[in-house]
Amino acid sequence: MNKFKSMVSILWMLSRPTPGSKAVVALPVVAFALVTALSLIVLAGAMSFFTTPVIDANPDLAGTYQMLAGVALALMVLPLLTLGGSAARLSARRRDERLSTLRLLGGTPALVGAMTVVESTAVAAGGICAGVVLYAAALPAVALISFQGKALGLAALWLNPLLVLATAAALMILAAISATIGLRQVVLSPLGVRTRAKAPTVHWVRFALGAGAAVVLYVLMANLTASGSLAVMIIILCGSFAGGMALLNLVGPFVLKWLAGRGLRKAQTPARLLAARTILESPKAAWRQVSSLSMTSFIAVIAGTGLALLNATAPEGGNAADINLATDMRTGVLITVVASFLLVASSAGVNQAAAILDRSGLYVSLDRLGMPRSVMEAARRRAVMSPVRIVTIGSAAVAAILLFPLTGAAMIFAPLSLVVIACVLASGIALVWLGLAASKPVLDSVLAR
Amino acid sequence: MPETTADGHSGGMTSTILSARSLSKRYGASIALNNVDVDIAAGESVAIMGSSGSGKTTLLHTLAGITAPDAGTVHYAGTEVTALNETQRSKLRREAFGFVFQSGLLIPELTAIENVALALMLNGVPRREAEPQAAGWLSHLGLAGMEDRRIGELSGGQAQRVAIARAQVTGAGIVFADEPTGALDSHTSAEVMGALLGATAGRGRTLVLVTHDPTVAALCSRTLYMHDGVLSLSPSAPPAPTQLIPGASGQYAVPSPGMAAHPSAGQFAAGQFTSGQPISGQNWAEQP
Repeated sequence: MNKFKSMVSILWMLSRPTPGSKAVVALPVVAFALVTALSLIVLAGAMSFFTTPVIDANPDLAGTYQMLAGVALALMVLPLLTLGGSAARLSARRRDERLSTLRLLGGTPALVGAMTVVESTAVAAGGICAGVVLYAAALPAVALISFQGKALGLAALWLNPLLVLATAAALMILAAISATIGLRQVVLSPLGVRTRAKAPTVHWVRFALGAGAAVVLYVLMANLTASGSLAVMIIILCGSFAGGMALLNLVGPFVLKWLAGRGLRKAQTPARLLAARTILESPKAAWRQVSSLSMTSFIAVIAGTGLALLNATAPEGGNAADINLATDMRTGVLITVVASFLLVASSAGVNQAAAILDRSGLYVSLDRLGMPRSVMEAARRRAVMSPVRIVTIGSAAVAAILLFPLTGAAMIFAPLSLVVIACVLASGIALVWLGLAASKPVLDSVLAR
Repeated sequence: MPETTADGHSGGMTSTILSARSLSKRYGASIALNNVDVDIAAGESVAIMGSSGSGKTTLLHTLAGITAPDAGTVHYAGTEVTALNETQRSKLRREAFGFVFQSGLLIPELTAIENVALALMLNGVPRREAEPQAAGWLSHLGLAGMEDRRIGELSGGQAQRVAIARAQVTGAGIVFADEPTGALDSHTSAEVMGALLGATAGRGRTLVLVTHDPTVAALCSRTLYMHDGVLSLSPSAPPAPTQLIPGASGQYAVPSPGMAAHPSAGQFAAGQFTSGQPISGQNWAEQP
């Protein structure tokens, strides 16, 4: 018991913030606040379609709306998990060094493990509380979004407190699990030495499998688009979506690796060389950070095209509910796209901040060697933005090719809608760029130390 | 009559490449540098020894333009380093200085040759020209055939030799090394010191090195000692700092080691030495 007490006091000593470490302390809290707020807003948006006012307003279409809300929610799960994972890793990682110390001082693995989990979860809890406040603060703006011709309204967006608690608990469990996994290395080796002898490889078999899947999908799609009914249209959209996603995830890391390899050979500037090597260090990690964008970009093109065609081909003076449904689907797609870009922007910011802190020693030494800060920034930016561009544009192209008969028709009947899709994707890329820019002060604070 | 400073160097000699006067630096209540004067001649290898917290690393960082002193001046080859702003000092470090740190601090994602070539690329040398020069230095330092290995695939001593190649590939006239052998065993340490001295003083370039290891210091042409922010020639603590006010510093003077005529900064290009540009012609304050 005495030993436990002394360990707790050592941990307390080791966790006290030091001057200049504000960014280090604040980051996991900010990350968890973002995850919580965004999760709750997305959940509230989806749940609003299950509330009585919305169902009463249009009982016939309630089922369709709920199904679409479910799809949108499902689309958000992956980017939310990516961001949650980044936040949890960040919170666990900054503990490694101090826990190594604790272990060297004689703390048992069980004690050190328990303390990390408790501490990481406590930090996460702080962020989660802030996130709930952020969610409440953002609701008035979200309430202005209009469905079925009416603003959603605050009443529909307030989540059941139990649901808020459940979300918070799920995020805390995520933090605890991530801390436990992250800690295993520290417990296994008190010195916590990380060796990075060889870059992991991505096998070309992925590409072959992906190409085969693409051919099958294309044949399926080409034959199914002949039908004109909405139900078949939705089946086509869902089928191409699921197949396309599987295809993209299979091929994605390989494509990133291949393009970064080409970039490496051609690189003439330090920033390009560093960025290409950063991606090649782990194409799978680079893909993971942006993979949810492939889904976003994919759905934006497919849904955008489908809706544009529905609008363009709808008979004059059609049923008001159908017109509302088409408008609402467009709103829904737009929100889903914007929200997932926002999530990727947040995870890019959080991951970059963590990467800078992880390698602060290296950045300081590069600064001493005289590497201009602009070169460090350019390398960092390129290492994230080039996969973002590849993924967004590549996925959009895959979607457009898979649905060529539809996209071709959209090009003729509703060319403006394609311009809108392109603009939305471009704005999303800009949003990720802003997320990255937000991590610049972390580099400045590391170099100022 | 040439002024003789506390570091045992006759300041009047024409071959002085790096010169500091009245350097002071405090970190809160602790004094890291207390009125330090030092002159370093071109082609010299100078070891700075001292216990932890004696200010030896602060002195190295101040001489190298990494840290700005609270008071005092540093001149390098006619340029007042202390008068330059952060961007200009960064450019000076990149173009004129080489650095070797305790753990090399090489970029782990890059291969050996890319780490070395990066130093040249930062100075605007195209990669196709930078890599052959980098390969020349790696081969010279006994790392031929290891160009494409990542840093994690090299031993500690090999990684330090990559760092030495990086410090010298730009033709830097002076190399600052902070505990370059601190993380190595004694055998590897001797090998790395041999490589470092061969690549610097052995080629007429200057080496300023901070170490706590007397064996390493003994390999250098001159050893200086730091005690509580005060520089002296004696390994034991000097009298109270009040006696070290300017003018009294001559009491530590010993005959300066024989200094070779300024060999200038030889430029190593594609495995060959060519005569370099006169260093004093450079003006780092001109371009930001």
